[in-house]
Amino acid sequence: MDEINEDTVNTEQDGSESFSRNGDLAGSFFGRYDIPLSIKREGISISMEKHADVLVYKRETPYETMERVLLADNAQILINPVEPLNTPKEITPFLHIEFEKVLVLEPKVSKVVCITFPIEIGVFISGSKDLESLDIFSLEKQKFTLYGDPSNGIICRSWGSDVHPVIPPLNPLHSGVLSLKIINTTGKWLQVSQAVFNAYGMKIYYNKDVVSMKASMRIMSNRTAETDFMDSPIIAEMENSLELYTVRKLVVTSTKYVMEAGI
Amino acid sequence: MIHRIVLYKDVTVFDILVVVVILVIAFFTAKALSVYLRRSLKEKMAREHLDILVKVATYSIIVVAALWALTLLGLNLSGLLVAGGIAGIVIGFASQSIVGNLISGIFLIIERPIRIGNQVNVEGVFGFVEDIKIISTVIRTYDGLYVRIPNQKVFTSSITNFVGNVARRFEYVVGIRYSDDADKAIKIIKDLVEDHPFALKNPSPLIFVDNLGDNSVNIMVRIWAPSSDWYGVKTELLWKIKKSLELEGIEIAFPQRVVWFANELNKREVRENSLATTSYE
Repeated sequence: MDEINEDTVNTEQDGSESFSRNGDLAGSFFGRYDIPLSIKREGISISMEKHADVLVYKRETPYETMERVLLADNAQILINPVEPLNTPKEITPFLHIEFEKVLVLEPKVSKVVCITFPIEIGVFISGSKDLESLDIFSLEKQKFTLYGDPSNGIICRSWGSDVHPVIPPLNPLHSGVLSLKIINTTGKWLQVSQAVFNAYGMKIYYNKDVVSMKASMRIMSNRTAETDFMDSPIIAEMENSLELYTVRKLVVTSTKYVMEAGI
Repeated sequence: MIHRIVLYKDVTVFDILVVVVILVIAFFTAKALSVYLRRSLKEKMAREHLDILVKVATYSIIVVAALWALTLLGLNLSGLLVAGGIAGIVIGFASQSIVGNLISGIFLIIERPIRIGNQVNVEGVFGFVEDIKIISTVIRTYDGLYVRIPNQKVFTSSITNFVGNVARRFEYVVGIRYSDDADKAIKIIKDLVEDHPFALKNPSPLIFVDNLGDNSVNIMVRIWAPSSDWYGVKTELLWKIKKSLELEGIEIAFPQRVVWFANELNKREVRENSLATTSYE
C-alpha cells in the first residue's frame, strides 16, 4: 500500500501523486455496451432488448425497478458513475461529507487524505449524434442535510466518511474514493470535520476496481474554506466518466464552493 | 409624391409612414429579442430574473422607438417633458390606485419578498406565484384557481412565503396508550425518520414525550425537511409512523373516560336471579 504524498502550501503537486488500491474488488461494470445487453451484478440487473421496432430497457435493483421503451434503431449503452446527487430526486447540487473523525491540521500545511463518496450509476444511451441520460440509480441509502441555517444555508446530500491515509478497499458500485488535499492557509491549528462540494465541478474517473475524484479544500479561517475539484485521476489510466452537467449542456459558471458556516 | 403631401407643419405622409415602419420594426425587434433571450437564457437564469430582463429589454426598445418617432413627427421632447409633468400630476391624482399599484409593484420587484414559483399565503390566498406584473400579482391557488391581487394589497399585507427559506420544520403529536412502551415507540419513529431521505439529518429531528395527556402519552415529533418537499415528507411519514407502531403492537390512543360508581353494580346478581327464575319454569 503506497503512502500518500504530502506537500506544503508552497509546493503544488503536479497531479502525479501515486496511489495503490487494496483488495480484490468487483470486476468491470462500467463502460460501453452494444445492444442487446444483459448484465447482472450484485443485485443489479440491466437489460436492453429489441422487440420488433422498439428497444426495451429494464433495470432492477433490490428496491426499485425501471422500464423504458426507446424508439431507436441503433444505439449504444454507456454505464458510468455520475455525480451522486440525483436520487431519489435532484434537489440540490451540493454534497456534504461529514468526517467520522475530526482532523486536526497544523498551521500553514497541506495534506492529502482519502475520504469516500456515494456512488450513483448513470445509464446513457448514445445514438448517431447525441447522448442522453436514460436512468440513474444508486445502491446506497440517500439522506439530505442542511449546511448553515434555514435562511442562508443550503440543502446538501449527506454522506459520512472515515478519513483514510491511503485508498481504502471499496466496492465501486457503492462508494468511491475522494482524494482531498486540505490546505491550511491560516497560522493556527484547525479542526476539520466536514466538507461541502459543488456538483458542477465534479470530475469522476473510474476503472474496474475504483471510482475516484480529486478535490481540494483551502481553509481560509476557522469557519471558512473553499472547495474545488481537480480534473485528474488518482491512479494512472482511469476512464473519465461522463458527468450529467456535461450531457445536459449546462453552462457552469463556478465549480467552487465557499463554506462559510463552519468546517 | 408622398414627400410633398404635408399634413401639418413639416410633417408629410412620408414621415408618418416612416414612423409606422419604425414602430413596427421596433415591435418585431422587441418580440424577436424577447424570444431570443428566453430561448438562450432559459437554462442559465432563474425564471423571475429572466422575466424581468425580457420585460426591461422589450419596453426599452419600444420606448426608444416611440420617442424617436415622436421627434420625426415634429414633437419637441423638452416640451413633452413639461407637458408630461403636468399630465403626470393630473393622471396621478386621477389614478392614485394605479400609481400606488405600480409603485408597489416596483418595490415588490426590488425587495422580492416573493418570487415566481414560490408557494405563498397573501391575505389568505394560498398558492403558487404565477407572475409578478407591474400592477398586479397573479397567484394560482392549490385548487387551480387564477387569483389576481393588486400589488398595493400584496405590498401592504402580511405575506407568508412557505419556500422563502431552504428548509422548514413540521411536527406531529402521536398519542399512544398509557399501557404502551413510549421508549419503544420513540425508537420506531426515530428509525423511520432516519430512513427517510428528505427528513434532514441536520437540524436533527426531535422526538420526545411532550406531555401526559388525558387519554394518551403524547409523543412530539419535530422534523426539518427541504421547503420544496416538506409536504410530501409530512404526509408520507405520518402514515408510516401509524402503520409501524401498530405492527409493533403500539396503538394510537382513543379518548376514553374511567367512570367509578359509588355503589357496586348488582349486574351479576340480577343475572343469577333471572337464571333461577328460568330454571323454576
